Amino acid sequence: MELRNKKVIVTGGVSGLGRSMVELFLSKGAAVTVFDLNAQGLDQLAQTHPTVVGFQCDLSDYDQVAATTARFHERFGAADVLVNNAGIIYSAPLVCLSPAGIVRHDVAMWRKVLDADLSSVFYTTLCVIEKMIATRTRGVVVNISSVSAAGNVGQSAYSAAKAGVNALTATWAKELGMMGIRVAAVAPGYSETGSTKSALSEPVLKEIVKRVPLRRLGKPEEIAQAVVAVVENDFFTGKVFEVDGGLVV
Amino acid sequence: MQEKVQTILVDVLHIPALQVRDSLAMKEVETWDSMRHMELVASIEQTFGIELTMDEIVSMISVGDIKRVLRGRGLEG
Ligand SMILES: NC(=O)c1ccc[n+]([C@@H]2O[C@H](COP(=O)([O-])OP(=O)(O)OC[C@H]3O[C@@H](n4cnc5c(N)ncnc54)[C@H](O)[C@@H]3O)[C@@H](O)[C@H]2O)c1
Repeated sequence: MELRNKKVIVTGGVSGLGRSMVELFLSKGAAVTVFDLNAQGLDQLAQTHPTVVGFQCDLSDYDQVAATTARFHERFGAADVLVNNAGIIYSAPLVCLSPAGIVRHDVAMWRKVLDADLSSVFYTTLCVIEKMIATRTRGVVVNISSVSAAGNVGQSAYSAAKAGVNALTATWAKELGMMGIRVAAVAPGYSETGSTKSALSEPVLKEIVKRVPLRRLGKPEEIAQAVVAVVENDFFTGKVFEVDGGLVV
Repeated sequence: MQEKVQTILVDVLHIPALQVRDSLAMKEVETWDSMRHMELVASIEQTFGIELTMDEIVSMISVGDIKRVLRGRGLEG
C-alpha cells in the first residue's frame, strides 16, 4: 500500500512506540488519527503535529470504542490502516514467595491486562473492519504483539494477552484475506520507551540486554519502520514480524 | 456466465452441480453460511473481474439473485 493520503489510525499514539509510528506515517504523507486514553497527551501531540486528529478513548471499554470509531467514520469514512498499538506492560509471577508468605498474582490485574492488551484489539478491529468491508476498502491491520507472546517469565497476563493477539492476527488474516484485507503483527523486543523503564529496574534491564544478540534495546523508530514495512508490503499477511535484536525469551 | 456461476457454487459450497438451480436459496444450503458467502463474493469477483458493492453482496441470497446482480453488471450468457 502506498501511504500518501491514506487514513491511518494508531491506537496509543501519544507516547512510546506509537508516537514513533505516528511520526513515520506522517512523514510518508498519511493522514493520521490517534485513539488514546491520555487526553492531555493528545493535546500536546496536536500542538507538535497539528494535522494529527486525536480521539480520547479507553480502548478496553467496548462502548467507548464503538462510539469513538463511529465518530471517526462520520468524519473521515473508512480507515485504510489500523495499528492496534495501545497497551500496558505488566509483570508479576503466578505466585511468589515473600517474607509474608506466598503471594498470588492479582486477579484484578489479570483482567485489566487482558482488557487493555487483548480485548482492546478485538473491539477496535471489530468496529474498524466493519466499515472497511462495507466500503470495500482493501485495508491493513497491524497488531503490536511482543516477544513475550512466546511465554515470558513473570508475565502471565501480558504473555497470554500477546499470544492471544498473535492468534487473532492469524485468524483474521484467513477470514479477511478474501476481501483483500491484510492483518499482520509486529512483535517488538525490549525497546527504549518510558514503559520499559518503568516496568523494569536498571539491573534487570542490564541483564536483559546481555541476552540480546545485538546487545542493546530496540529504538522506537526501528519498531515503527517494521510497522510501515508491513503496511507497504502487499503480500505480507497473517504473520508476526519479530523485531527484537535476535532475543529469544 | 451461468456455467461459471455454477462452477463457483459447486466449488465453494461443495454441493452437486445438479442441485444448483435459480431458486436455490442461502437458507436451504447448510454450507452457505456467512463465511462461505464471503468466499463466494471473492470467487465471483475474481472470476468476472469486478468488485461488488455492499448492496449487491447482501442481496445475493439465492442463485437467481447472484445471476440477477451479474446481469445488472452487463454479464450475459
Ligand atoms: N516498549 C517495549 O519494550 C515493548 C516491547 C514489546 C511490545 N510492546 C508493545 O508496544 C505497545 C506500545 O508500548 P509502549 O512501550 O510504547 O507503551 P507506552 O506506555 O509508552 O504507550 C502506550 C500508549 O497507549 C495508551 N494506552 C494504554 N492503555 C490504553 C487504553 N486502555 N486505551 C487507550 N489508550 C491506551 C497510553 O496512554 C500510551 O499513550 C504495547 O502494545 C506494548 O505491549 C512494547
